[in-house]
Amino acid sequence: MAELERALAALAGEIEFPTAPDLRPRVRERLERRRLARPFALAVALLVVAFGIAMAVPPARSAILRFFHIGAVTVERVQRLPAARERPLATGLGPARTLDQAQARSGVTLILHAPQPQHFYARPGLIATLLQYRGKPVLLAELQGDQLGITKKLAAPDTRVEPADMGSFGLWITGGKHVIYWETRPGEGSQIKPRLAGNVLIWTQDSRTFRLEGDLREEQMLELARDITR
Amino acid sequence: MVGRPLDESDLIGRAKRGDTHAYEDLVYAHQGIAFRTAYVIAGNAADAEEAAQDGFVKAWRALGRFREGAPFRPWLLRIVANEARNRRRSAGRRAHLALRAATEQPSGDAAPSPEAAFLSAEQRESLLAAVNELPDDQRTVISLRYFVGLSEHETAEALGLPAGTVKSRTARALERLRESYG
Repeated sequence: MAELERALAALAGEIEFPTAPDLRPRVRERLERRRLARPFALAVALLVVAFGIAMAVPPARSAILRFFHIGAVTVERVQRLPAARERPLATGLGPARTLDQAQARSGVTLILHAPQPQHFYARPGLIATLLQYRGKPVLLAELQGDQLGITKKLAAPDTRVEPADMGSFGLWITGGKHVIYWETRPGEGSQIKPRLAGNVLIWTQDSRTFRLEGDLREEQMLELARDITR
Repeated sequence: MVGRPLDESDLIGRAKRGDTHAYEDLVYAHQGIAFRTAYVIAGNAADAEEAAQDGFVKAWRALGRFREGAPFRPWLLRIVANEARNRRRSAGRRAHLALRAATEQPSGDAAPSPEAAFLSAEQRESLLAAVNELPDDQRTVISLRYFVGLSEHETAEALGLPAGTVKSRTARALERLRESYG
C-alpha cells in the first residue's frame, strides 16, 4: 500500500463521526404501521376493482359516480371526449431546468431513485421529468399540495381504469386515449393546453401523487414505478 | 437442540417471508455503516439518521426484488445513499461536510494503535486539511473508501456511479492529496 493510502487508513481511526443511533425501534414502528395499513389498502383496491367492473356494465355505469379522485388527480367519465390533440409529453410544463432550480420553483422534493435525467420541469406544486425507459420516453410527474391538479376525462369503455398494485392506492389507465387537463391556479403562469394521453399509471404515497405516462405495458410501468419510489 | 446463529442469507430469507425480527437483526448489523455513509453524503447527523431510517424501511419494501445470493450491504447502501442525496439536494446545501479528527485522545498510558502511530499530530492535521480541501465529489469518494471503509464496488453502488468513475475519481483525489500533503 502506498504511503499516502497508509496515512489515510491511519487517519480513518481518528475521524470524528457522530455516534450511530439505534434505528431498530423507529424502523420497527414504521414496518408495523405499514402492516396495519395493508388491509385498508386492500379494501381500497377492491373498491377500485368494483368500480372498474361497474364501469364495464352499461346499466350500472349510469348509476355510479361520474368522477372520483386519486391524490391530486380527478378522473371523470364523459360520454364523448372533449376536443384535444396529441402533443409532446412535456408540452406546457415550462422550460427545462436543473433539478435544484425545479425543486426550488415547484416546492416539491423529487423522489426519483433511478434513472437520473438531466432536465426537469416545474410549476408550483409539480415537478416533472422525461425519462427514457426501455427505449421509450416516459413522463414522470410528482405533485404535492393543492397548487396544481390534474383532471382526466375518459370515455368508457374505450378507456379502461384498473387498480394497480402500487403505493397505498394505484390506478392503471389504458386502452383508448383520454384527455388530460393540468389545473393550475389563476395567476400561476400560462395555462397548459389539454392534450390526448395514452397509458398512465397513477399512485399515491404519503401526501404525494405520482403519475407516469408513456407507451409501456402495465408490468413495465409498474417496474419503473417501483424503482422510482422504492 | 441448540440453535445456531443465523447467517445473513438466512436472515434475508426470513425477512423476505415477512419476519420483522430477522429484519431487525439485519438493521442492527448494518445501521452503523448505513449511518456513516449517509452522514458523509448528507453532511449532518440529523439528515443522516433520517436517510438511514428511510433507507431501511424502503429496503424492507423492496426485499422481494432483492436477488437471492447477492451481497446485501451494497444493495442496502445504495438505497440509503439515495435517501441521503435526496435530503442534501432538497436542503440545497452547498457547504460540504468538514471532517474533524476526534479530540479525545487515548487516556493514561494506553499505547496508540499501530495505525495511529503511523501519523504524527502534525501530519494528521495536514492530511485532514488536504482532504477537506478536495472538491466535493472527490472528498466524498475518499471519505467513503478510506474513512467509512466501503469497497470500490460499494462506493460505486452508493454513489450510483460506474466503478470506473469511482476508480478515476479516487486516483485524481489521491494525486491532489499527494501534491498538497507531500
